[in-house]
Amino acid sequence: MRRILNVIRLQMINRQTFIWTPLIVLAGATVLSILVYAMIPVDTPKYGGAGQAPLWYFFAIGIGAMSYTFPFSQAMSITRREFFLGTMLTAVLASAFMGVLFLIGGGIELATGGYGVNGYVFYLDWLWEAGPLGAFVVYFTLALLLFVAGFTGTTIFKSWGLTVLTIVWVALALVIVGLGALVTKLELWGDVWTTVVSLGALGLALWGLVVVAALMGVSFLAFRRTVP
Amino acid sequence: MTAVIEVQNLSKRYKDKKALDDVSLSLEPGAIYGLLGRNGAGKTTLMSILTAQNFETSGTVRVFGESPYENARVLSRICFVRESQKYPDDATPRHAFAAARLFFPHWDQVFADRLIAEFQVPLKQRIKKLSRGQLSAVGVIIGLASRAEITFFDEPYLGLDAVARQIFYDRLLEDYVEHPRTVILSSHLIDEVSNLIEKVIVIDNGRIILDEDTDAVRDRAVTVVGDAATVDDWAAGREVLHRETLGRVASVTVLGSLSAAERTELTASGLDLAPVSLQQLVVRLTQRADNPLKEEVH
Repeated sequence: MRRILNVIRLQMINRQTFIWTPLIVLAGATVLSILVYAMIPVDTPKYGGAGQAPLWYFFAIGIGAMSYTFPFSQAMSITRREFFLGTMLTAVLASAFMGVLFLIGGGIELATGGYGVNGYVFYLDWLWEAGPLGAFVVYFTLALLLFVAGFTGTTIFKSWGLTVLTIVWVALALVIVGLGALVTKLELWGDVWTTVVSLGALGLALWGLVVVAALMGVSFLAFRRTVP
Repeated sequence: MTAVIEVQNLSKRYKDKKALDDVSLSLEPGAIYGLLGRNGAGKTTLMSILTAQNFETSGTVRVFGESPYENARVLSRICFVRESQKYPDDATPRHAFAAARLFFPHWDQVFADRLIAEFQVPLKQRIKKLSRGQLSAVGVIIGLASRAEITFFDEPYLGLDAVARQIFYDRLLEDYVEHPRTVILSSHLIDEVSNLIEKVIVIDNGRIILDEDTDAVRDRAVTVVGDAATVDDWAAGREVLHRETLGRVASVTVLGSLSAAERTELTASGLDLAPVSLQQLVVRLTQRADNPLKEEVH
């Protein structure tokens, strides 16, 4: 257990990666949004998607954790299991940190009436309809999902090569398009939207956590035989 | 003495190449091993499998009597920094040493600090911006200061200048005397490490072609120089490793050591003995393994 906790410390040794860079991206995107909001001459609330900017960075950290930090962990005589568990715990902590930042951002927007320009980056009605905890879970899940997707993709690439990774992507795309075609043919889009709306952002996020768990399972299996 | 590393019939096959071919080895504790061989001979592959970084196609590996794969008990007593070691993106040497301090139970920070100063490693520069020599120095410092019971050095001198290489050899020996452990040093600069290593393992095309004490290896062959006909007469019936001629003079390296009587007889017939360097012997053994009965004529 001590060695798994040490993997978290290893991942956090360079605080740039998990803390400062996401913070800078988030702050930069927020300031840019506020400037843009200030230039829009309407009085209704203005919403933007800048809050998602640091989430994409989590995809990149997921790739980096596998491509660079894993080979280094092998030089530190860390087992694959220890590295995997420690890295996933780090991602959970960092995603929770993102969730907290999201809540703080939303709180500031509420308190200041959208930075005084009625503009919102974090306090998006649909995400907050299940309350602050719901909003936290949504943001946390998105960050974790992107990290795990980056990590899993890179693991598949390192274990089985580019061809297999490409086949996996194409297969996933086919499944999604196929489902879309099926829904269209059966004329079920109305039901689908009703379900999405009734699930709400929180409900979708909880399903997102199921996807996260499945991806973690896949990447752990692939990871056990990965060579740095 | 119980072996710290026990390898039996180890083979590793990549798609089109046999990287290791039926390797069996037994390494004792408290010795410095030289793992010698040409580029691509299988040195890094062997070390990767011993440290569970890579996987065998067949055969068994036991380190401290156990399989090293996913075995924290075994791995925490081992240190293997690769020649082409990757470091976390944007990491600096300071980060790398801080990590090593977390994971190696015998890590000596004072020793590390001294080595950092001696190798002049810039602590705050990103590792991916370091020169090849500085990159090697980071690996060397982790290997030395971790004081792992089994430490692998994979061509640690790449890019290091002569002064830095000497610092490495000196510190390794000093620290080894104070804190005996098993060191496996892979190298193709054989003469440079020949005074350091106590045991020689030569690997060629994935096969072990020599596994002996360094002193015994030095006694394994003699080079005799003199008149070509006389030399050939003398060498007849012996196992010739290498033969060179220049005009009427021949130089023949044969396997086997000479008794005092044989030496006297040799001198009496007008032949001279020349020293066989470890490097020459290894090169010649490797050439023989690659290409049996090859003879060079100049």
